[in-house]
Amino acid sequence: MLAMSGVVKSFGANRVLRGVSLSVATGEAVVVIGPSGSGKTTLLRCINLLEDYEQGTVTVDGIPIGYRIDPHTGQRLRMSEREIAASREMIGIVFQSYNLFPHMTVLQNIVAAPIRVKGVPRAKAEARARDLLALVGLSDKAREFPVRLSGGQQQRVAIARALAMDPKLMLFDEVTSALDPELVGEVLAAMQQLARDGMTMVVVTHEMSFARDVADRIVFMEGGVIVEEGKPDQMFSAPRTERVRQFLKRYNDRYRI
Amino acid sequence: MVRLMPALLQGAVITVELAILTFVICLFWGLLVALAQSSRGTLAWVAGGYVQAVRNTPLLIQLYIIYFGFSMVGFGLSGFMSGLLALCIQNGGYVAEIYRGGLQSVSARQYEAGRALGMRRWTLYTTVILPQVVARVIPPMTNQAISIIKDTSQVAAIAVMEMMKVAEVWVESSANTYDVFAGVAIIYLVLTSAAGLVGKAVEHRLAFAQ
Amino acid sequence: MKMFAPLLHSYWYLFRGAGMTLLMAGAAVVPATALGVVLALVHVFGRRPARSALQVYLFVVRGIPLLVLLTFVYYLLPLTGIDLPPFWGVVVVMSLYYAAFMSEVFRAGIESLPQAQWDAARSLGMTRHLMLRIVIFPQALRLAAPPFVSLCVSLVKATSLVSIVGLWELTMASREVVERTLAPFQIFLGAALIYFCICYTLAMYGRYLERRSLVGH
Repeated sequence: MLAMSGVVKSFGANRVLRGVSLSVATGEAVVVIGPSGSGKTTLLRCINLLEDYEQGTVTVDGIPIGYRIDPHTGQRLRMSEREIAASREMIGIVFQSYNLFPHMTVLQNIVAAPIRVKGVPRAKAEARARDLLALVGLSDKAREFPVRLSGGQQQRVAIARALAMDPKLMLFDEVTSALDPELVGEVLAAMQQLARDGMTMVVVTHEMSFARDVADRIVFMEGGVIVEEGKPDQMFSAPRTERVRQFLKRYNDRYRI
Repeated sequence: MVRLMPALLQGAVITVELAILTFVICLFWGLLVALAQSSRGTLAWVAGGYVQAVRNTPLLIQLYIIYFGFSMVGFGLSGFMSGLLALCIQNGGYVAEIYRGGLQSVSARQYEAGRALGMRRWTLYTTVILPQVVARVIPPMTNQAISIIKDTSQVAAIAVMEMMKVAEVWVESSANTYDVFAGVAIIYLVLTSAAGLVGKAVEHRLAFAQ
Repeated sequence: MKMFAPLLHSYWYLFRGAGMTLLMAGAAVVPATALGVVLALVHVFGRRPARSALQVYLFVVRGIPLLVLLTFVYYLLPLTGIDLPPFWGVVVVMSLYYAAFMSEVFRAGIESLPQAQWDAARSLGMTRHLMLRIVIFPQALRLAAPPFVSLCVSLVKATSLVSIVGLWELTMASREVVERTLAPFQIFLGAALIYFCICYTLAMYGRYLERRSLVGH
């Protein structure tokens, strides 16, 4: 359902993504792990074109995002801003720093895009927003401003806001890295529920327990390429690459089953 | 236009004199005011009142008060001196605010860290706090210098032959208006750009010294 | 107290002058702000030629004293044959002058918003127009409000300059009274007091806005 093919991205002289190809099936939860600077976050941000990339294509459900290949010339063309904005509606993303709009209440944050981008009538959008808030366990915070919520609560609102657009694909960019340890659990629980409900998701995280328990497939990245991918059991107990074994060693040592 | 350049440049000399004198005097005077503001008691209150008074009244009115008002009381100052005094009084207030902002922006933690390392107050101020204040203060000071250069034009109102007044005189005697003002504009742009470049250069020098 | 008799006789005239000052400032603030917003958008989003032109404009306007521009227009306008009343002439000049400074203030407000806000808005599928309207501007303008009010204070003070080219407002009014009463000290002090009241009130409002913008962020 998500198909990334040959994505190359450089920041100046620094080649952060060296030709990455990744496929995700509908309903699959893929977790991307790897050391800092491996390009995991950049990869995620390329999916909905928050980062522009020099080579490669991304399609969701067959619809190209950002760049399409001209059927006649085979040339890679950038789509119009309007098309790009429209295609972003299919993809929901939750960021490490929540990125809620501070000048709007929680409810307004969630309904802003459905009302103004999709044209959903206000009453319907607000009803859906309340459902989503119930889903993430924050029904009583609808009229609060983000500044009054804890990090974990803000992050759950961010998840609700992304879900309000009924995306086909959800992206999570190290969403618990900025949280106090005690708040991490509630966010991971929400994500786990989403995965169980069948949402297609790509999650970049350092939370190895989450990767092992929730992922349908784990992808290990380093130096801008995918080094290995496979099912969690296999990756954790018998990785094929030495590098992966090294990386997971500390986790395995600590949590040996 | 070439004919009138020498006259304009003579006026520019006065402009530059006024600007430089004002800037240098304000560097010291503004510091005194800023220090007074951060002290306690009546002195702080008076200094604060002074700064508010000059920031909320036009330079032109201050000029008129000093030039006309003082001569009424018997203490007549020349146009140049009145202009200088008014410019210093007005800009002293602004410079004081710049210093205050700089002092406040250097985090209290720097002060604490220094004390924790056992520094005495004097050493702490001179080696840690002041260099940082100086660095932070340079961009707004550069802007203030540019502002001072532009303010000198108002001194024309009390018949000082700085550049603006010279221009006026020439236009009145029906020299080509366009040429006169083109010349004036160019010279001001040169002066303000020069001030800006000097400011940037000082900023860079200090950045390396740190 | 007897010294201030001339002021007590003429204060009403000065108040009328202050009224004209406020009228002039008010008339200039509106176009200055509108133009300032437009120029800020050009600076942030415009293509290279527009931005270069803008840089030139900013350089010239910020490097030349307002008085020079006012005098220039005062002498030049009759020559070009445009039949504009002097009041509107100076309002136009002041608007163009202050628009430059305001655009920089608005630009700073826009650019100081974290990239994260743009990312979030874009990810939700918002077009640039919508993003600016409901996410960027509400926040940027709140941030820009305190320095904006500072500029308004500066504008009010700058109206005093039009007296030099012969327009009537508070400063000109006080000059007239001084000529009549020969009491420059008291009269100009009175005018200063009136300016102070106007500007200080504005400045206080600016500080109130500054405190308010810190809450909730």
